[in-house]
Amino acid sequence: MTVPKASLLPLLLVSISATSAVYCADTNPGFEPAQIEFFEKEIRPVLADNCFKCHSGTKAKVGLELNHRGGWLSGSDYRKVVDLENPAQSVLIKAISHAAEKNIVAMPEKGDKLPDETIARITEWIAMGLPWPENEISEHKDPSEHWSFQPVKKQELPEGAGNPIDYFLNEAREKAGVVAAEKADRETLYRRAHFDLLGLPPKYEELRKFVDDPRPDSDAWSALVDELMASPHYGERWARQWMDVARYSDTIGYEGAGRERRFIYSYAYRNWLIKSFNDDLPYDKFVLYQLAAEQLVDWDSPEKAHLAALGFLSLSKNGKNEIIIDDRIDTTFRGMMALTVSCARCHDHKFDPISTSEYYGVYGVFMNSFKEERPVIGEPKSGPEYDKYLKERAEKQKVIDDFLAPKLAKIEKEKPELMGRREQLIKMLSREDRRELAKKQGVFDKFIADAQMDPDKAIILTDAENIRKQRIFVRGAPGRQGDEAPRRFLTFGKDVEPVAFTKGSGRLELAQQIASPDNPLTARNIVNRVWMWHFGEGIVRTIDDFGIQGELPDNPELLDFLATWFIENGWSIKKLHRLILTSHTWQQQSSNPVQDKNMLVDPENRLLWKYNKRRLDLEQLRDGILEVTGTLSDEMFGRAVKILEPPYSNRRSVYAFIDRQNLNPVFRNFDFSNPQETTAQRPTTTIPMQALFTMNSDFIQNQAANLAKKVAPQEDPIQHYHRAIFATEPTENDRLLADSFFTSVESEMKDYSKRQTNTAWSYGYGTHNDESGKVSFTPYPLWTGKQWQIEKETPIKDNPLSYLYARAGATHPGHTSKESSIYQWQAPSDLKVSIAGAVQRSAVGKGNGVRVKVVTHKGRLLFDQVMDPAKKTFPVTVDPFDVAKNDLIYFIIDPHENNSSFDSVNWSPQVVDASGVNPKWGLAESFSGPATPATPHSAYVHALLNTNRFLFIE
Amino acid sequence: MTQSFSRRELLQRTGMGMGALGLSPFLSSLNAGDRSLNPLAPGKTHFAPKAKRVIHIFANGGPSQVDSFDYKPALEKYHGQEVPGGGLRTERKTGTLMKSPFNFSQHGKSGLWASDLFPKVAELADDLCVINSMYANVPNHEPSLMLMNTGAERVNLVRPSMGSWVTYGLGTENENLPGFVSLCPGGVPIVETQNWRSAFLPGAYQGAHIDTKNSLISKLIPDIRNQRMPMDIQRKQLDLVQEMNRQDIGQSQVDQDVEARMHSLELAYKMQIEATDAFNVDREPKHIRELYGDTLHGRQMLIARRLVERGTRFVQVWHGAGQPWDSHAEIEKFHGKLGAEADQPIAALLVDLKQRGLLEDTLVIWGGEFGRTPTVELPTPGANAANTKLGRDHNHHGFTMWMAGGGTKGGFQYGKTDEFGFKAVENPMHVHDLHATILHLLGFDHEKLTYRYAGRDFRLTDVHGEVFHDLLA
Repeated sequence: MTVPKASLLPLLLVSISATSAVYCADTNPGFEPAQIEFFEKEIRPVLADNCFKCHSGTKAKVGLELNHRGGWLSGSDYRKVVDLENPAQSVLIKAISHAAEKNIVAMPEKGDKLPDETIARITEWIAMGLPWPENEISEHKDPSEHWSFQPVKKQELPEGAGNPIDYFLNEAREKAGVVAAEKADRETLYRRAHFDLLGLPPKYEELRKFVDDPRPDSDAWSALVDELMASPHYGERWARQWMDVARYSDTIGYEGAGRERRFIYSYAYRNWLIKSFNDDLPYDKFVLYQLAAEQLVDWDSPEKAHLAALGFLSLSKNGKNEIIIDDRIDTTFRGMMALTVSCARCHDHKFDPISTSEYYGVYGVFMNSFKEERPVIGEPKSGPEYDKYLKERAEKQKVIDDFLAPKLAKIEKEKPELMGRREQLIKMLSREDRRELAKKQGVFDKFIADAQMDPDKAIILTDAENIRKQRIFVRGAPGRQGDEAPRRFLTFGKDVEPVAFTKGSGRLELAQQIASPDNPLTARNIVNRVWMWHFGEGIVRTIDDFGIQGELPDNPELLDFLATWFIENGWSIKKLHRLILTSHTWQQQSSNPVQDKNMLVDPENRLLWKYNKRRLDLEQLRDGILEVTGTLSDEMFGRAVKILEPPYSNRRSVYAFIDRQNLNPVFRNFDFSNPQETTAQRPTTTIPMQALFTMNSDFIQNQAANLAKKVAPQEDPIQHYHRAIFATEPTENDRLLADSFFTSVESEMKDYSKRQTNTAWSYGYGTHNDESGKVSFTPYPLWTGKQWQIEKETPIKDNPLSYLYARAGATHPGHTSKESSIYQWQAPSDLKVSIAGAVQRSAVGKGNGVRVKVVTHKGRLLFDQVMDPAKKTFPVTVDPFDVAKNDLIYFIIDPHENNSSFDSVNWSPQVVDASGVNPKWGLAESFSGPATPATPHSAYVHALLNTNRFLFIE
Repeated sequence: MTQSFSRRELLQRTGMGMGALGLSPFLSSLNAGDRSLNPLAPGKTHFAPKAKRVIHIFANGGPSQVDSFDYKPALEKYHGQEVPGGGLRTERKTGTLMKSPFNFSQHGKSGLWASDLFPKVAELADDLCVINSMYANVPNHEPSLMLMNTGAERVNLVRPSMGSWVTYGLGTENENLPGFVSLCPGGVPIVETQNWRSAFLPGAYQGAHIDTKNSLISKLIPDIRNQRMPMDIQRKQLDLVQEMNRQDIGQSQVDQDVEARMHSLELAYKMQIEATDAFNVDREPKHIRELYGDTLHGRQMLIARRLVERGTRFVQVWHGAGQPWDSHAEIEKFHGKLGAEADQPIAALLVDLKQRGLLEDTLVIWGGEFGRTPTVELPTPGANAANTKLGRDHNHHGFTMWMAGGGTKGGFQYGKTDEFGFKAVENPMHVHDLHATILHLLGFDHEKLTYRYAGRDFRLTDVHGEVFHDLLA
């Protein structure tokens, strides 16, 4: 019942509220056998008959589990139920005694009240300290001792250990008896590194330069890695990885009708990420800025650019306050500490030592932080266009202000304490007024978002002026307030004084706790993620869960070594890349001669005895195609562009407009991250929808045509294509295959390429000779984007072709019979077809009507009638008849007696396959502009782009 | 990598290497259910299923139970009077009780009550398992749509849709078609694509939305046809691709992803034909097309049947974009029109599935995200000032859904609302219970069909849901 990623995980099928006693804090007091016997004889049967049905397992009512001792001790979600000191005062005893007190619900809810003597026995049992057999008391160890909550251990390396990654893995491989693969050749490594660091395929000349570099491998390689990391495209690749973590989106998610969903400045965060990766911003700072930049940088210096980092928090999803805050907590902790803190929102974390109180301690931080689109971090535009925009913007703003001013003034009069507090005042508006305001605001926001004229701004969080205290929301419900939850950092269940947050919201302090070298999770989390981005799997495979339910690290020493090394090396991501890319482990071939033996020991390749072959992800695929066909734009930064709709942008995929609510399905067909929540790891699936896109999409075929067109006449085209796409020379075999492909398709494609449109239909004019039965047909030369016609400007003066056009299902003939309007249909195969449809002439009663004919190119007259001008609708049908492949059928509107006045007609004939195998060919439905037929060469390039040689990284 | 990966590579070790011609023997085994290679390969159920596929007819907007399948004679008697003891709170203010403008009568051997809003469906009463005691949590479209479709009513919670869960559990019986299809003419319902998204499940399980208002196949499914070359040329092009792939494999070791990709090219090629065929209702004989009716709704219901017949696992058929069944005013006129559109196609679907022996293991579900009040909606200033009369408000307290086929009891009526049809009072069935029961029919313990995400095992029914065994045949 699993798919790949899930199957890696322990198959503990527990529901989210699985409440087996995973741990309980008390130690076993050691009961007398007689006490246990008393429990078994007198108590357990009563509980089993009356309590367990509702109070055990996954659906325990009010969270109270009475089927194990821990449950009795921890009580319900609301309160304790037993008082060991004063058993008779226990809530539970009161409940089963049906005490008439407030907040006491008589138990058992269904069924009779327990006999008094039973209640007395239970009271007695509580007084004994709840004796319960030892082996049923949860025996889990103290969760605070879990590996990931322990400090990172510095690992010592012996002298001459070489690359530490290889050192640790070799040790593990030796122990397991598996053997690493050989080093891959320079060509393979170059391509691999290029995709890995830049997300782009290599260029042939550059690859050759590297392959021919006379320096020893290690020197040449070292120089190359530095060179690639210095490329500005590096940041474009690696920012996108982090955007998965940050559930990056250019829209807020769902919003009701009329509201603007786009974030106007989301791109500022994306741009900041690109720049930060390129600048190798130390990771601790990278974390600090994303959580609290507004308290760390000088707003009046160039440093203010870092304010955009707060997009990590501010680009959260839409919804009620508790949804937004939970999203921020989840993204922060799962993304930066691999901890599922959000699980403690409704109840203490079921597995990890995180209490609801701690959750709401962090919640208080975000509850006291507000989103603002304030600081301008870019340069304002200038010029008349910008001035015009400003003017229009001011006018639009005025509409809102004029609407609000009198209403707010009225409220201010009634509630002077709210004077000048716009946000508060707006909350006081009537429901209708607020709805109206939202509508007006939606119009304004749409204008701003469409105009894209404002200077870059950061969407930041700022601390509230008056910090409010936060209480626990019992079972996650804001309406049920529990104890106060002071703002503080997690203690991981350790018996230590929590770090209290005292400055403002405490967000900066939270950031400092996360970005601290002493945080046991932060460095481990990021090195594990970087590892996954390089190798496909993490050292800990549950990327966003280092908790008790997560997997253990495959190689804890290596993980700790990397974490320490990373901090010691200034939290430098680039240095970490370098360490990884210069290891033999990364440089191995993707196949291994002793694979079979290795497989027996380590079928999942956890010891990395070969490189995991990887399929290009969506961005690598799309960017790669644009790159090899020479169309990829070098432009960096800027606002988001739609990449999957025409006109297809040639910008890198990192700039794609990401719509959280309605993401184009193609993204997720290619395993793109879900922008609703932080993504740990994309799945790797292979489904036909992906192949349909690479086989049929306009995007990819446009690109194939681009490359095919770029070959100069004196060039060897096959060589050109292979160099461009694979950065290699074509092999002899490749050439043979290419030749045989061209031979097999050439003549048929030539015919195909003559077509006016991509469909079976063509549009034009001409005449049908009544005597010879011949039809002369001239296709229209011009496509306006909406219709086919003769010239750009119509009507054309003194020209009999003047009024000719064809639109989806509508046409007008020229002046005379010689300029009749003609639709042409071509049979795709041998068929029996019939014809359906009707001509409609709107100018009923005017003019002399039209003559409608249907003729085959062989001169067979299928239909020939003059349409009475008094009629509005005129059926044109033909009974089934045979056609051969490539036969043509002409649908003719003759102006009749050379009088074309009032001859605008609607006509969408349908050719119907009598066998029903083919869908109907309806003219209007399939109406289209000029054909873009594939040529043998574009089809060949397109084929190469579909090969595994291109789609996989070896 | 997964265990199946190891098994496959181990197979190779035993000498089943790449064939010199054709694809490796593994390719032929890809259909055999290796989900690491193909997330849509048929999955294993927890126990023998009664239903193998689902057609969920979504009357979005909220059809009125007291005008369709929940007969309340008391409404006649109390027409124009206040609800004795007071009405229940719904989205907007409602007034006195309002009798149904539609006439109820008993149908079939079972004698189930149904109104003439659905005359043809009513004739099939003996196939219906009518649940009169459905209830949800709130009287608003967004959360109720989310509840019905994902089991989590908060619009901003990220939960996979029921169709995604089912496809995750069962895969598809035909790899040449999408496993989960959402037919919705003219656009999308409220909350849009969220109704069929896969959320944290892999994208392979997301519903493919098809706007059935288009009749041209290339507009129905993006990229389903190559517009620039005929299929025989494309075949030659694919042969070239596959030959290069084969030659390249010859030089390295078998890799599951590489082979899966080669396999998927072939699937996609076939999908071009099969999907086209599935949507081409013109291939149906005349009497079948007439059975469904030559209308938009007739056509899309016929497409639904053609899809499940070909192995698509879960088909959702929406009445239309937005919330068509949301008749806040003039219930007679608006419900009347909607009923007239939906009745014949739905009845035809049941008849047709039955005559093909498909109804036995196809679960058909009909209903909205909630029902409507038995009371008349009152005009309020602003949003519905124009709704001056004879409409009904949303009602989540009690509403009706019915199921047919797929192991449900036919001619069966379950649960009751109160005297007026306002609130479920006997055997109330929550949406979670419906989900649990649907999964049960499909062979799954709803508590065990889980997916690990963000440190938790998620399921369609969250921590709720009970299977209602009374409904099972």
